[in-house]
Amino acid sequence: MIQQFALLIWGIEMSEFITAVLISLSSGAIYALMSIALVLVWRSTRVINFAQAGQAVLTTYIGYDIVQKTGSYWIALAGAVISGAIIGAVIDRFFMRPIFKRVNSGPIVMIAPVAATLGLLGIIQALIGFKWGLTNQSIEAPVSTNGIKVLGSVIAFSKFNLLVLVFVSIAVLLLTLLFQRTNIGLALRASAYSPEIARLSGIKVDTVRTLGWAIAGASGGLAGMLYIPGAFLYPNAMDLLLVFGFIAAVIGGLESLFGAVAGAMVLAFAINFATTYISPKLFFPTAFIVLVLVLLVRPAGLFAAKMSRRA
Amino acid sequence: MLKLTPSKKRLILFIIFGWILLILSNQVGDLKLYQGSFIATYALAITSIILLTGYSGQLSLGQSALMAVGAYAGALAIFNLGLHPVIGLFVAALVAGVFGLLLGLIVARLSGPYLAGTTLALAVSLPTLANQFPILGAEEGVPFDVGSAPARFGEDFSQYKWQFWIASLAALIMVWFIANLLTSRYGRTYKALRDNPVAAELSGINVGQVKVGAFAISSGVAGLSGALLAVLISGVSPSAFPLSLSFALLGGAVVTGVYSLKGVILGGLVLVAIPEIADSLVLRIGGSEGFTTSLPGFLVSALLILAVVFAPNGPGSLIKREHHKK
Repeated sequence: MIQQFALLIWGIEMSEFITAVLISLSSGAIYALMSIALVLVWRSTRVINFAQAGQAVLTTYIGYDIVQKTGSYWIALAGAVISGAIIGAVIDRFFMRPIFKRVNSGPIVMIAPVAATLGLLGIIQALIGFKWGLTNQSIEAPVSTNGIKVLGSVIAFSKFNLLVLVFVSIAVLLLTLLFQRTNIGLALRASAYSPEIARLSGIKVDTVRTLGWAIAGASGGLAGMLYIPGAFLYPNAMDLLLVFGFIAAVIGGLESLFGAVAGAMVLAFAINFATTYISPKLFFPTAFIVLVLVLLVRPAGLFAAKMSRRA
Repeated sequence: MLKLTPSKKRLILFIIFGWILLILSNQVGDLKLYQGSFIATYALAITSIILLTGYSGQLSLGQSALMAVGAYAGALAIFNLGLHPVIGLFVAALVAGVFGLLLGLIVARLSGPYLAGTTLALAVSLPTLANQFPILGAEEGVPFDVGSAPARFGEDFSQYKWQFWIASLAALIMVWFIANLLTSRYGRTYKALRDNPVAAELSGINVGQVKVGAFAISSGVAGLSGALLAVLISGVSPSAFPLSLSFALLGGAVVTGVYSLKGVILGGLVLVAIPEIADSLVLRIGGSEGFTTSLPGFLVSALLILAVVFAPNGPGSLIKREHHKK
């Protein structure tokens, strides 16, 4: 009797633990995409792209329109990723680059990119409000969002969460291959680390930067399409994701893809375990506490480059 | 002619400005007074950003959280301890300043995006923390009551005028104090730090100390403006200080010209006027609900971008440049 009871308790605790781990992995995966998008832009242009929340939500609205027209989530996913890349490239080429050319001296240089991307975020969100309105929309997930059975009990981890994990893993793998194994990746890394030397060795740094923005935009589009089936779509839907992606990027050190993913996982595990085991109200405070603890130990994030570089 | 030192000139200027406001407050209606109080409050909040970002070179996105700290501290001091409202405002500035000092000790060694990220995390997490403690009144918050005007001002002295007096007087005194601080020897260390940290350190400035000091003072100013905001909306609750407030104020600071206190009232004016302009535009041309609700955000953002592109150092720099051309 007592043994059975103990087994039952153990079963419940075990499934709670497994749920927390799996949910952490899947929410961490989405934070990671956003975090990657921010890191890619930061390391190539030294801009924290707050507009990324707007870009991601805009591409998700485009995905939503495609779902309405074709009924296929997969076409919408592809459409969102491609349009995300195009929007990212356009923003860099026709918005950020001219601003950088214009505002290049004086103390305003520090704050101009922040102000510009915040302004852009506001514009994109307002334009979405103009076109699609403010009502909550939803996108049907392509696979079941009901919990799956583990150890005989249903846990809060669905097939869709699994799909998110798989997709993000593939995306991170492809990006890693791109950066480590191709000439384009080499050019991207070179222009990020030393624009001057990259330019001298014949790399078209500006074009490469625009490519970086495009990849970041695609990553944000993927994040949006994977995030929204689990939440409502409205103009400010990605603000939270932006905040967590940014915190994850800072925890990871803002320099590497690996750092971005690791930071996102640290953040997601901390949040999910704190809300599961201590109190669900600790959702936001945990993010702050984890960030401060990490920065107290390592002021430039967990995986910052050893050599400090000019900002 | 009698010679005046710059600080005396500034004092006279502020007194004249206050006097003009006093006269104006007797001329205009309640709505204008109410809007005027908001302008004063926002101008003060923008001052705290200019002090921190423009002068000491630290970018904070958590100003709304510091305002919330001040507002809660002031509200509790009045509501629970029964202190006089004016002392409540002092308590607000003081508690927020101490909070900023502690925060500054943690974050002042962070730079650029790391500081921005930490303050951003603070801005989203602090309001949700307010829900945890019963004394902070959960979602409903705590009332912030400055009482009604003393009887000697007469029967028809409206509550709005009283709030306007409190808000604009508090803002005037604080901005005057900060303007003096920034032109003092201590204030110049801020600029030195922002323009060239290495040179500042070499000339004997304790970089860490100055950064923490700037953080604490800026927090105190933000706390006072938060308390004033709570006065105007007659209470403080977690939802009164959203992250978007931080962003709006930062936008206001950029429009003002983040490296000068001179146009600070312009930033407040913009933040108050744009929703009004959007409203009147909507009345004229109409539109869907999505359009009408999104229009103010659109106008503010567009103005922010225009400011960055055409007047990155504030509207004052435009005038100066024109001057040079002649």
